[in-house]
Amino acid sequence: MVGQVVISGILAGALYAMVALGLALIYGVMRVINIAHGPLLMLGAYTTFFLYSAFGLNPYLSIPVTMAVLFVVGVVLQRSLVFRVVDAPELSSLLLTFGISIGLVNLAQLAFTSDLRAVEYLTGSIPLGPFALSKTRLVAFVFAGGVTALAFLFLQRTRLGKAIRATSQSPEVAMVCGIDVRRVHMFTFGLATALAAAGGALIAVIVAIQPEMGQVWTFKSFLVIVLGGAGNYPGALLGGMLLGLVEQLAALFLTTQLSEVVAYLLLVVVLLVRPTGLLGGRQT
Amino acid sequence: MLLAALAVYPAFGTGYGVRAMLQIFMWIALAGSWNIISGLTGYVSFGHVAFFGAGAYAGAILIANAGWPWVPAAAAGGVAACVLALVIGYPCLRLKGPYFAIAMLGLNEVLRALVSYFEALTGGGSGLSLPTLHATVPIYYAMAGTAAAVTLLTFLIITSRFGLRLMTIREDELAAEAMGIDTARHKLYAFLLSAAGPGIAGALAARDQGYIEPISVFPLATTITMIVMALFGGKGTVWGPVLGAVVLFVAQELVWARFPYVHQLLFGAIIVAVVLLMPRGVLGILQLKYRLPRTI
Repeated sequence: MVGQVVISGILAGALYAMVALGLALIYGVMRVINIAHGPLLMLGAYTTFFLYSAFGLNPYLSIPVTMAVLFVVGVVLQRSLVFRVVDAPELSSLLLTFGISIGLVNLAQLAFTSDLRAVEYLTGSIPLGPFALSKTRLVAFVFAGGVTALAFLFLQRTRLGKAIRATSQSPEVAMVCGIDVRRVHMFTFGLATALAAAGGALIAVIVAIQPEMGQVWTFKSFLVIVLGGAGNYPGALLGGMLLGLVEQLAALFLTTQLSEVVAYLLLVVVLLVRPTGLLGGRQT
Repeated sequence: MLLAALAVYPAFGTGYGVRAMLQIFMWIALAGSWNIISGLTGYVSFGHVAFFGAGAYAGAILIANAGWPWVPAAAAGGVAACVLALVIGYPCLRLKGPYFAIAMLGLNEVLRALVSYFEALTGGGSGLSLPTLHATVPIYYAMAGTAAAVTLLTFLIITSRFGLRLMTIREDELAAEAMGIDTARHKLYAFLLSAAGPGIAGALAARDQGYIEPISVFPLATTITMIVMALFGGKGTVWGPVLGAVVLFVAQELVWARFPYVHQLLFGAIIVAVVLLMPRGVLGILQLKYRLPRTI
């Protein structure tokens, strides 16, 4: 039983890590905690749903399209609103992104109604020794791992990726070095939104889609980046796995309802012992 | 004049009018309380509705299960919120900046999960019904008293040395510590004071509505509403939260009636507008333009 739970935790963890990496990027580069991250994930899920129901596009093949669409949405949001609260006190950015968040949820309710929707694509599970692996979750793990790896490769190897990391280390020095910080901000927000969208696309196949599905993901992503150390990108991987494991173990030994409580207690303890997160204090 | 008018209003007002006034008092108490911790010390409590919900559940449980009258139950709601603030504030107030905001946000989610889980005591997700009682008018006065008490408390704090120390923490916590201010203790006191009002208001609101459930007393939107009210009026001032609560509540009532479908969208737009256009709030702007007393 514990083995099964550990596997489920790791499968979920990769998804958490990918979505949270987006939030971590925005926080690292702009010092903005984006409450709208979850609702943007919700838009990604809807995009995949409509590509599937209207054009019959395979939900997994739709991931690049969904990411591209939400990348544009993210850039537009950054250019129009979020750029005003970059480096502002946290109250401004929290409230602004909360405003965007309820705006997005309300728009989704108006446009798509509150009906539950589902992408029924892969069902059932694969037996693996004594364990049973849900197909959709296994595929989500593979895709989330792949996208996260690509994102890291991008951050490590490309000029733009290096510019993003430089900006998150020190915006002033980055500017002096000739990096167009405003462009980096735009691109980072787009990239982060695309990561959330990829999460949405993968989740669309696993759970029901509805306008309010996103909020819980904002909070989970917070947990992940705080556990890993905000602004520390590999920390998101560790945090994601940890959150996945803790949630599954809590669900096994207590009940599913209390898994959130256990995750929160973990967060408070980690913050008290290591206020900068498990891998914090060391920027990539 | 205004006080007298408010005092005799229940005798003349319509049922809707009295209820709306009661809501305004509640928002004044909530926005004013948030202002005490966040407006004065700069620690953004992003889950202040947790104290409202804790008070609501404490009061409702005492009324429904223990048969308490509502007045002591409301006081107990305030005490329960203070106890929660003590337990949470002691560790969490050591967190800086966004970490504290997130910890408070999480606290709210956790309380909602806990309340849903302990069904025997709280009725779980299906909620808790209170025995029927027609006491809107006495509750009107109690809520008005709570709002007045919170505003008076804010005035007393701002004009005291204690308030000055809190504002020093807001401007520069390190400097405050270097000057010999016991910052941890001061933050905790401010946090306790800011929890009592929402606790009492929560218990009163629960009694007034006669029914509570986890999603109705722990919504993040309530936290945001109180923050935006305080921000709109002017955070860190005495009358800012009052002004914000009155103006935004009236605006919200008008909008709610006319545009039920897009009202959330408009709420979002108001938040964005307040943050971008007037982060100092009405009183803050007036203070910049004219030389107003700092204690306004």
